[in-house]
Amino acid sequence: MFRLDDQKTVSFCDGMRRRDFLHAGSAGMLGLGLTDFLALKAQGAVQKDKSDMNVIMLFLVGGPSQLDTFDMKPDAPSEIRGPYKPLKTNVPGIEISEIFPRMARHADKWSLVRTLHHTAAAVHDTGHQMMQTGRLFQGGLNYPHIGSVLGKLRGPKGDVPPHVLLPRPIGNTGGNMPHGQDAGFLGKAYDPFVLNADPSEPNFEVPDMLPPDYISSMRVDRRLKWRDMIDDAVKHFEEVPDAKLLDTTFHQAYTLMSSEKARAAFDLTQESDDTRKRYGQNRFGQSCLMARRLIEAGVRFATVNMFETVFDEITWDIHGSSPFSPIECYSNLVGPMFDNGFTSLVEDLSRTGMLDNTLIIATGEFGRTPKINPAGGRDHWPACWSVVMAGGGIQGGRVVGESDEIGGAPKSRPTSPGEIAATVYHSLGIDLETQLPGPQNRPIRVVDHGVEPIMELFT
Amino acid sequence: MIKQIFGTALLLVAPCLGARPASIEILPGDIVLSGPASSQQLIVQARLAEGREQDLTSQASFRSANPKIIKAEGGVLLPLADGSTKLTAEVEGVSATINVTVRQFGQPLVPSFLNDVQPVLTKGGCNSGACHGSEAGKNGFKLSLRGYDSEFDHAMLTRTAVGRRVTPWDPSKSLLLLKPTLTIPHGGGRRFAVDSPDFRIIAEWIANGAPALDNSDARIESLSVFPEEAWLTPEADQQVVVQANYSDGSSRDVTRWAKLSSTNSGVATVDDLGRVKMQGPGEAAITVWYSSKVKFARLGVAFDHEIDPSIYSNAPRNNYIDDRVLEKLQALHVTPSENADDNTFLRRAYLDAMGALPSPAEVERFAVDPAPNKRERLIEAILGREEFVDYWAYKWSDLLLVSSRDLNKSAMWSYYRWVRESVEKNTPWDQLVRQVLTSSGNSSIHGELNYYQLHRNTIELAENVTQAFMGIRITCARCHNHPLEKWTQNDYYQFANLVSRVAQKNGTGAGDVVVYRSPSGGINHPKLGKPLPPRPLDGAELALDGTADRRQHLADWLTSAENPYFARAVVNKIWENFMGRGIVHPVDDMRASNPASNEKLLTALTADFIEHKFDVKHLIRRIMLSATYQRSSRSNETNADDEMYYSRYIVRRLPAEVALDAVSQVTRVPTRFSGYPEGTRALQLPDTQVTSYFLTVFGRPPRINVDAAEREHAPTIKQALHVINGDTLNNMLRDQEGAIEMFLKLGLSNGKILEHLYLSALSRYPTNAERKTLAAALDEAEKETAADALERDPRRKPLEDLMWAMLTGKEFLFNH
Repeated sequence: MFRLDDQKTVSFCDGMRRRDFLHAGSAGMLGLGLTDFLALKAQGAVQKDKSDMNVIMLFLVGGPSQLDTFDMKPDAPSEIRGPYKPLKTNVPGIEISEIFPRMARHADKWSLVRTLHHTAAAVHDTGHQMMQTGRLFQGGLNYPHIGSVLGKLRGPKGDVPPHVLLPRPIGNTGGNMPHGQDAGFLGKAYDPFVLNADPSEPNFEVPDMLPPDYISSMRVDRRLKWRDMIDDAVKHFEEVPDAKLLDTTFHQAYTLMSSEKARAAFDLTQESDDTRKRYGQNRFGQSCLMARRLIEAGVRFATVNMFETVFDEITWDIHGSSPFSPIECYSNLVGPMFDNGFTSLVEDLSRTGMLDNTLIIATGEFGRTPKINPAGGRDHWPACWSVVMAGGGIQGGRVVGESDEIGGAPKSRPTSPGEIAATVYHSLGIDLETQLPGPQNRPIRVVDHGVEPIMELFT
Repeated sequence: MIKQIFGTALLLVAPCLGARPASIEILPGDIVLSGPASSQQLIVQARLAEGREQDLTSQASFRSANPKIIKAEGGVLLPLADGSTKLTAEVEGVSATINVTVRQFGQPLVPSFLNDVQPVLTKGGCNSGACHGSEAGKNGFKLSLRGYDSEFDHAMLTRTAVGRRVTPWDPSKSLLLLKPTLTIPHGGGRRFAVDSPDFRIIAEWIANGAPALDNSDARIESLSVFPEEAWLTPEADQQVVVQANYSDGSSRDVTRWAKLSSTNSGVATVDDLGRVKMQGPGEAAITVWYSSKVKFARLGVAFDHEIDPSIYSNAPRNNYIDDRVLEKLQALHVTPSENADDNTFLRRAYLDAMGALPSPAEVERFAVDPAPNKRERLIEAILGREEFVDYWAYKWSDLLLVSSRDLNKSAMWSYYRWVRESVEKNTPWDQLVRQVLTSSGNSSIHGELNYYQLHRNTIELAENVTQAFMGIRITCARCHNHPLEKWTQNDYYQFANLVSRVAQKNGTGAGDVVVYRSPSGGINHPKLGKPLPPRPLDGAELALDGTADRRQHLADWLTSAENPYFARAVVNKIWENFMGRGIVHPVDDMRASNPASNEKLLTALTADFIEHKFDVKHLIRRIMLSATYQRSSRSNETNADDEMYYSRYIVRRLPAEVALDAVSQVTRVPTRFSGYPEGTRALQLPDTQVTSYFLTVFGRPPRINVDAAEREHAPTIKQALHVINGDTLNNMLRDQEGAIEMFLKLGLSNGKILEHLYLSALSRYPTNAERKTLAAALDEAEKETAADALERDPRRKPLEDLMWAMLTGKEFLFNH
């Protein structure tokens, strides 16, 4: 066991050597096309160790129905099995919904956990908390997002922020609770960099990435130097977290500005039209594409929220009545959107070899009622749902856990949000005993004591 | 590491254990035990020095004056026979005595479904959202969520599944006993053991024929918690007792069936039986939920600082605010910061009360003003300024969601104008809200009617009224009783029915509506399929078929001095504006289970506000005059971590609009907002739909939901990128008619310019060291620039850069 504030025992924080190596490594990746990268990989020039593991989390806001996506029950009565048919995948014995035809051709690369469940209130917000932090917020503790923990433990890799959230944070989903999408008790300095824009818009660009022509680099330096001189008078503000954060953000901004490679990571015009189409010409698809570019550029954790809210928007939240979504949207909109985004990520990352050190995890906040409701939809159901994972050491073509005959409860190997978090930490090579500095410096473990990763996925 | 801390702490505590307490008290005081199964957990609470308390129950010896009537075992009082007697507890030679009465001991135990069985099912989690309380139930067995619908639950248990759940002719065959004891398989595992007290309650109830609800059943009216508030010794153990009080006047110990949780697990943790363990210094509330009632106990441990009491007695006290704050600081062992200097106070007062910086002339005047009451006079002057009206009109427009997002331009303007005029006239808060709720007519004349245009649906309207004006979120109760608060689904639909008879039709002009009272209409309770009599939360019911104006009734109740939420909510918001954090935090979350950091302070402020007829200016004056508001933001050795007890001024980033206006004020370049005349300040904008990347990136609220979190305060990389590279600040610096141009035309020396900039941006003179180093830096930069033949004026770019450095620094961007 080790603590963050105890320098001697923090084996992965002894920094410079590894960071220099990674810096060089990430720089190498960025400027190169896929082919170059493959060539380098073949030569063994691209090395990996656990400290270079990344995560792309696709958050399926709204809560996909397990019965219409990854846990089909074709033999159940029609009011249970729903309108969609199962589709065979390229792995014998694994079937998923017909709404994911592209994904079905790559089942050897991804695995399913079909027995995820939680026992908190069946509102979106609690599931958001648990799936992004591993825990329900209680006792006044706002736990940090896994990506923020990663940023805290390993710092930035290269010139990009360690944790990025695309395209926008989750907004109101009815419960008025925190969604677990920020750094919580670690402090805002570890909050993700939030894009807050739609990368599928035609003229999309991250604003203000470069100084205007009339400000020379000499002037940029001078401004910075003078700013420090003037602020010398309020050194004591350093003890105010937000004031300290202001300086941190300035520092991070300069790092971004001064790195051409970092800036390029946000520039989707560097991708071919074919590639952009393959990911889907929509907010989610282009965000997945950007997530890939960001990970290639050194971002350690990219969260992609598929939707911002569940109201008046077509989402996974298929109650069947307004302002929510109808079940049909799975086949005509939401399903294809996910199929294209997820599958393109798997295709591209496996081609470059980066799937080995990048975990892709796609999950919602809960499942949906086994029985179709009178409005033709399905309501919230945290008692059983499925999560998809690929890469990052996860073996493909597996199914962990089995649900009962109606997909309503785990039948074997029940799994919890905490175990999913532990699985992500394990993939990242983070010791589960690691303690984070909580409020008043109280040590808090990254996951609760006794919560273990789902090892069946790795070995 | 942890063990070490605990070890040393224990050593410090140890002497207390043997010390003779000053006095002891038996909680919860005099006791009446009803029935053979009644019992009462006792607490022997000792008073130690300095207002500290300690739970000495485990060391106390109990003595019954009549051992035939009661006995006390392990701190639990049990009945033996009917009668009255006394119970005495003694520790270290100090004793206390209470009266105890036992009634109905000889009567057979007949548990009530409502008051005995439901609590067992709730505590066992049987009716939780994850189990049978979920919308679809579990394995064909459904209960109402946390037992809010006892009639439904009773029918489910006794009339479905062909009587297998409950079999009065052979209770032991009842599924209700077999399943939760795991005698037969149960997906939810073991909830209680065979022959446990919970088991016996259910078994007795079944054996008595599983009686249904009865009108004679006592209804729960309130909860009491013991101790309600206590300052304890470090690492202390403290028993908490929950008592339910019923409509028949009886009370009983329900601790073991209550749901208990701690609001701050770093300070205190609590188990299912109400045993609290203090973990660290600070305060925590132990929230108690039982049968849709909420209450909390407030337990604290002082910080480990030795503080001379004269610090508190000598601290400045300008009004009652300071008394209440110092009282709390003394209990916590935290020292308040020093008084802020005049320049700091001036800048702070301007920014907090009117969102603008003082001009250099105002700074200079205030600095040399010898009057001892100059702060008081300054506050009075601010309250009379136009910018004060702009600022508060903006603030209330956030709350009332004034925006052209869902209103057309002219409607938005009439709405805003009404808000601004109200602020200008200092309309008392109760009257302002009353106007919003009760007006009728055309919205182009009565701008406040646009509130109804924004919330066309009864549900939205009801939820907005509770959140905007009381800081209470009742959304959960739309579908079921609020799982953690006291609001029931009936409360919700009775409340919503108050606003169900507001109708609107299109007015004469585009975007106008006519709002009028509809003679009929009502919102159906979804489960009952009919409307319930309209009733404000905790208020008096109106007849369903009555003709009284429902909105009037709502407004009467809402704005009444007796309403426990209304004045308190706005007082908390105004306090936050000046102090950086609500006494209840976040400000719009005034639910019962979110306690105030200083309840006496909030109560006193609220009483003052009501007494002064909801006068917002009066409250602002009171807050600004307090020594608490006028404290320095610099911390001392004891208060660096204090964010919630107001021992110092909390440093915070300027709000988006204030920051933009301040930049504009210092550069003397107006912001140009499309569609608004030049010179319009950000705080004068009626509408948040006006495009401004600066305002958006600095966290201007979109005014979509009444949610304090809509406004963002945290610095972000994108804000930094925008001030470094973006066109807002850079264009102001380059402007050919701004402050820099003025300095150059006047031919001011660098020293003079520096002085002016410090006064206008930071509201203070530069120090000698600052003058010297920055003037030298400017001189040098000018020489470098002069070497470039293309430069029109070698002084210009260095001055732009200096101003940039000043306007992006912490001292400028933060109020302190």
